[in-house]
Amino acid sequence: MADFEIKDLRASVEGRQILKGVSLDINKGEVHAVMGPNGSGKSTLSHTLMGHPGYSVDGGSVMFKGQNILDLEPDERARLGMFLALQYPVVVPGISMANFLRTALNSHRGYDGKDKSKAVSPKEFRGLLKDKLKVLHMDDSFLSRYINDGFSGGEKKRAEILQMAVLKPEIAILDETDSGLDIDSIKFVAEAVNRMRGPNLGVLIITHYTRILEFIQPDFVHVLVDGKFVLSGGSEVAERLEKTGYSEWGHAEETTPQEVA
Amino acid sequence: MAITSETLDQLQGEPGWLRERRESALATFERLPAPSRTDEEWRRTDVSRLDPSRFSKLEHLDGHELVLPEALPEGVILEPLRVAAEKHRDLVEPRLFSLVHADRDRFTALHAALFTGGTFLYVPDGVVVDKPIIGQHFSHEAGTSVLPHTLIVAGKGSKFDYLDEYIAENDGEDGYRSGSTEIFLDEGAQVGYVAVQKWGRNVWHFSDQRAELLKDSSLHLFNVTLGGKFSKTRVEASLAGPGADAELKAIYFASGEQFFDFHTLQDHRVGNTRSDLLFKGALSDAARTVYAGLIRIEKHAARSDAYQANRNLVLSDHAKATSVPMLEIDNNDVRCTHGATVGPVDPEHLFYLRSRGIPEPTAKRMLIQGFFGDVLDRIPFEHARRLVEAELESRIG
Repeated sequence: MADFEIKDLRASVEGRQILKGVSLDINKGEVHAVMGPNGSGKSTLSHTLMGHPGYSVDGGSVMFKGQNILDLEPDERARLGMFLALQYPVVVPGISMANFLRTALNSHRGYDGKDKSKAVSPKEFRGLLKDKLKVLHMDDSFLSRYINDGFSGGEKKRAEILQMAVLKPEIAILDETDSGLDIDSIKFVAEAVNRMRGPNLGVLIITHYTRILEFIQPDFVHVLVDGKFVLSGGSEVAERLEKTGYSEWGHAEETTPQEVA
Repeated sequence: MAITSETLDQLQGEPGWLRERRESALATFERLPAPSRTDEEWRRTDVSRLDPSRFSKLEHLDGHELVLPEALPEGVILEPLRVAAEKHRDLVEPRLFSLVHADRDRFTALHAALFTGGTFLYVPDGVVVDKPIIGQHFSHEAGTSVLPHTLIVAGKGSKFDYLDEYIAENDGEDGYRSGSTEIFLDEGAQVGYVAVQKWGRNVWHFSDQRAELLKDSSLHLFNVTLGGKFSKTRVEASLAGPGADAELKAIYFASGEQFFDFHTLQDHRVGNTRSDLLFKGALSDAARTVYAGLIRIEKHAARSDAYQANRNLVLSDHAKATSVPMLEIDNNDVRCTHGATVGPVDPEHLFYLRSRGIPEPTAKRMLIQGFFGDVLDRIPFEHARRLVEAELESRIG
């Protein structure tokens, strides 16, 4: 049995079925890429896995650590060891990144405001962040800013990966982390993710383009079209998509990003 | 027991001129009709069940406490208002109820007739007071009236901070409460004023705050409204000299069946003046709030800047916030913005925090604190900021 087992997952948005039976086994230590054209259900997959209230599950199961996580609240899923790096991280005014990260970390440790011994100390917190900020080429000033407030596209995505590095998930879903990123940011993000790779982490990279896969080598690539996987294989699948795009499934879209002038 | 001139007999030891003022205000109270719901100001604000005569026993008198900086600079006068009326008649008599007019409505008249103490602060020209001056007004009993009045006179180029704290000994007591303030800012004065209203949850509360700002003066006025089953607050700044700058901020948190009403006025009487208003409130349970704000820019007040925003975070389906921004602009050469929002916690924000493992109640609390965050940063001095943060934290729970 795989560490993270998606079985016949069906989900809909506003009454419209988007995922039409998705099955996928992810083991820790593996990096899977899910690729697909626009509208294929990539975002629905990532949001449904994390329990976003806008997506409803119509069937199937997702087993992780002996539980069907579809029965859990989003925060319970996170504390169980799941993480979702959002395609569009939201700006939350009034809450500093430091407060956000500290509260998230404390929640993972079971600190509920009572047993102070469970809370992360300021010293430990600083130590924890120092190297991670460096790898992501972020400076301390990020921490005093409000969540994603005034961050550039690249900064937002790097801040997502910083949160991942701090929370140390066992299953991480990166939803279009490469979209809207300059090449430097992609490299920083990829380096940070590659450092976290190892026997304790399974990764699901969701992407339209093959570009990020040049920097984070996937073990498995799956092609999602119209809510179902149409092809699964090793990294050669990404190479094939690089050449032919999604046209063989009736989609004429590019798999490499347009250069932005 | 009805409110008559015998009610005034509870206020002994005052100079004759003040007693005459009170008698006159009492006559005004008797003459004025009860507010009608056909008046725009009272359309959503129901006082039909209030009978002030139930609360004709006056409490408090000079029972306020002043927390003073260790030593006040030479020439600063800080006295109970009733004492100052005797000792500093020349300073008090011409100003008392000259900004807040006794005939504004029945409740203002009642406050002017019966005000039960309060503070007089006079800071002479050029004097700077480093540490904040704090007036604490306590209520001790249910069924009484506690009606403190603050009169502040800021001399030319003076600079200081003042905090009024309205505190109930028993959170469940009923009664009639007010807490009104008049602030005179002479040229170049810089005043920080904070009022924290945490009366009991069953009282009727009426407050009139009005400031007059002369040339180049600046006022940072901050209100915190937490108490009362009914609380009506008027905040008015009269920008009467070029270069005058008024920052009017407020936060409120209404829960249970509390009803809060705020009416504000940014009155730009001359040009080259600036006002910036931000009122932010959270509502839970079956609470209701009404905000109505007017920016008035008079004909000759060119090159004025006026900003007004009211933001409401509605935490329950049964709570209701109403926001009515109004503009009255008689000059084209001005910059003016206003806006109002009423809405729940953003579900995307909530999901984002929860997706990081933060439980829903904690995430909601953080979002409420975050909502107030930018306005809390504008509290003009540290002591008040800490006090308000602690109060808010206990309300957010």
